[in-house]
Amino acid sequence: MTLATFIVKNALRNKRRATLSILSVAISLFLLVTLQVAMRELMNPINDEGSSLRIIVRNKVSLAQPLPARQLQVLDRIPGIVAVSPFSFFGGLYKGDEKFTSFAQFAVDPKRCGPLLSDAKLPPEQLQAWLADRTSCIVGKLTVDRYQLKIGDRMQFTGQYYPCDLELKVVGIYQGTADDRNVMFHQSYLDESLGKPGTVGTWWVRAASVDEAPLVTDRINKAFANSSAEVRAESERAFVLGFVSMWANIKTLITRISVVVLFALVLVAVSTMSMAIRERFRELAILKALGFKRRELFAFILAESVGLAVAGALIGGFGAWLVFTYMRVGGIVLALVALGLFAMCVYLLIKRQWLTGILALFAAMPVAMLGATLAQAGSIQGLTNGMFLLFEVTPQMLGLVFVVAGVLGVLAALAPMIAVARTSVVQGLKTLD
Amino acid sequence: MALPIKYSVRNALVRWRSTIATVLGIGLVVFVFVLLQSLAAGIEKSSGNTGDRRNVMIVRKGSTAESASLISREDFQQIRYFEEIARNENGEAVISADVLALVNLPRKPPEDNSSAFERRLSKILIALHLKDAKKPVSGGEANVLLRGVTARGMELRPQVKIVAGRWFTPGKREIVVSAKLARRFANFDVGQSFRSGNATFTVVGWLDGGGSAFDSECWIDADECRSVFERDMYSSFLARVPDAKSMSNLVARVEGDRRFKLKAESEVEYYRKQTMTAAPIKWLGGFLAVMMSVGAVFAAMNTMYAAVGARTREIGTLRVLGFRRRAVVFALLLEGGFLALMGGVLGCVVAYHWNGYTTATMGFETFSEIVFQFTVTPGLIVKGLVFAVIVGIIGTLLPAIRASRLPVIDALKAI
Repeated sequence: MTLATFIVKNALRNKRRATLSILSVAISLFLLVTLQVAMRELMNPINDEGSSLRIIVRNKVSLAQPLPARQLQVLDRIPGIVAVSPFSFFGGLYKGDEKFTSFAQFAVDPKRCGPLLSDAKLPPEQLQAWLADRTSCIVGKLTVDRYQLKIGDRMQFTGQYYPCDLELKVVGIYQGTADDRNVMFHQSYLDESLGKPGTVGTWWVRAASVDEAPLVTDRINKAFANSSAEVRAESERAFVLGFVSMWANIKTLITRISVVVLFALVLVAVSTMSMAIRERFRELAILKALGFKRRELFAFILAESVGLAVAGALIGGFGAWLVFTYMRVGGIVLALVALGLFAMCVYLLIKRQWLTGILALFAAMPVAMLGATLAQAGSIQGLTNGMFLLFEVTPQMLGLVFVVAGVLGVLAALAPMIAVARTSVVQGLKTLD
Repeated sequence: MALPIKYSVRNALVRWRSTIATVLGIGLVVFVFVLLQSLAAGIEKSSGNTGDRRNVMIVRKGSTAESASLISREDFQQIRYFEEIARNENGEAVISADVLALVNLPRKPPEDNSSAFERRLSKILIALHLKDAKKPVSGGEANVLLRGVTARGMELRPQVKIVAGRWFTPGKREIVVSAKLARRFANFDVGQSFRSGNATFTVVGWLDGGGSAFDSECWIDADECRSVFERDMYSSFLARVPDAKSMSNLVARVEGDRRFKLKAESEVEYYRKQTMTAAPIKWLGGFLAVMMSVGAVFAAMNTMYAAVGARTREIGTLRVLGFRRRAVVFALLLEGGFLALMGGVLGCVVAYHWNGYTTATMGFETFSEIVFQFTVTPGLIVKGLVFAVIVGIIGTLLPAIRASRLPVIDALKAI
């Protein structure tokens, strides 16, 4: 028997406890990853090709205050600008949505916005059709899939922020941007529906180069200083971060909850580990008596503890990755687990262990339901009604999970190690429990 | 015969090391659950607190909130003569047309108002490099809801009182800010002023909405608001009705008239529905609670299996003495339940520490900073405790059944 098998055998000799410990670590780490992913999704600015060049110009008062359309002439003359287009957030309710529509609708100038959406892939004939028809719109692939739209369909929107309703004809489907959900339509159509108020929501500007972008931002801000409608131009990144800062205390709260989750994790793991070691105190004393050094005993304990924690990290971390990236596969895996539990239930019932059998059935049902929900939703968009798009588990997050698991393993091993070190062989041999 | 309750309690206490770990674990789960639900409860309470039973709120059809609503002046000219609306002693209709504007303003740099415990915790976290040492950062910016009101509008909202300074003078660019917002935004002290939309507003007073949604607003003169922010439309109408019958008549008349695209409902009802912000917090709280409780069940199971394992002989002895299987199961369930209840109490006590603490976030309806308080209601505490006991009992069930199933002879032989 090698040392490695000795450690593995020791870790698994109480299979139930090992399973429970691994699962509780796995669940907490799953939670940690989920919180991190959600935070990243909510807080992190988009990072596609064009985002470093894009500048967003809004009214200095607030985003809700419109800008005069006449500013376009001034913007066109500012050096370093490649393209400018109005971007008015319509924010209508799509027909059938009760309270909340998960995609945005922007009124843009189709002739001007091409360079601003350089990542978008749109077939040329569809672009032509969009340019030609004032009441038409192009729709992101994700929204098309979600509502099963096709070219030629009409979309009805009830205005929430603008006092008008719109009907738009789908003439094109684009994809390739960081957020393939949005609907883009003609600013001129919005103007007409509102009775030509001569205002736009925001201007989106594309700078000539990354180096020039900050200069362009300054020039725009200066150009409208002390005018009747002062503006705030900022990079897309700063714009998004400004939004994030409005979330205020909620962000801190989520961070703190992550810390609480971690703390709970440490507690549980430490308690389990010390239980496992207390149980075989006598054995460790025998090992000591046989001539194993303290250092070697430490290594046993540490290896077992870290091993269990890392096993939990593997399940929790990769489980999260699997569920969020390939939700359908994750659902099927869960369904298989449920099937296993169900088989266990049947087996127990045959063996006339009624109560445990029924308990296994009770455990199988929620797992099966969860699996079915996940498999049916198919993706995080489906599951959260389009609120979350990517839910990308980054390598950094998985790295963090393993670091946490490692630290956890060491922390959990500390108390038992101290106890083992303190106890003399005779004392250890005398221990009963 | 049942085992004495003392048996269960003392058993839980004698293994204090693993008991503490389990209690703390369950306590943390309950803490997170109660705290998040208390946030949602706070948001709901603040909007449920708002409004007067005798008022009718009129907004544009399709708008979810008055800040997103636009109503023309012609509509106002017609509606103000509706006879369903109450008259004051001068014979004028008690109706107010408000103008709401969203203004982006700098926050105060975050002051250190954390409790001693939080300070100590953050010191530890900084020492462990889990948190950056606090840099003197600016507080960022956030949207504030400005309400342009007339004297009528103030009459209609008796909840709002001045707590410092005075009301604004109509026709002047003076502003009364919410006392609760004043603690969060720069230049909001009485006498200070700030710029927005080519105008400089002087803060002349602090208002207090008595825990209502008005605590998240700043009030200025309606005409000034319209001219500074270039609005020729109103945002919402608020009308007083003399009795319940005229309320339903007014609602029916406004909604039934095809000339207006307006929606009328009782003000209380309108605010009761402004709780979209609470929904995701509730959802997050529920999700975290379920996930963490599964982990806690596993942990409780581990503890109880170990407890049962260490007491195998004792349980055998009890059986020999004539205690029934179900007495043993019951005693163990009681032990698990007791452990969990201690955890639950701990979690609730710690969460209660935050009760009444004022916090803020961006409201989904208004896109402006909404101020509210953590509200730990008795219902929440009961929920938290029940939740804890359920976790404890589920965690104990399997170990207890196992203990009761042990053959007596084998159990007695166990070392």
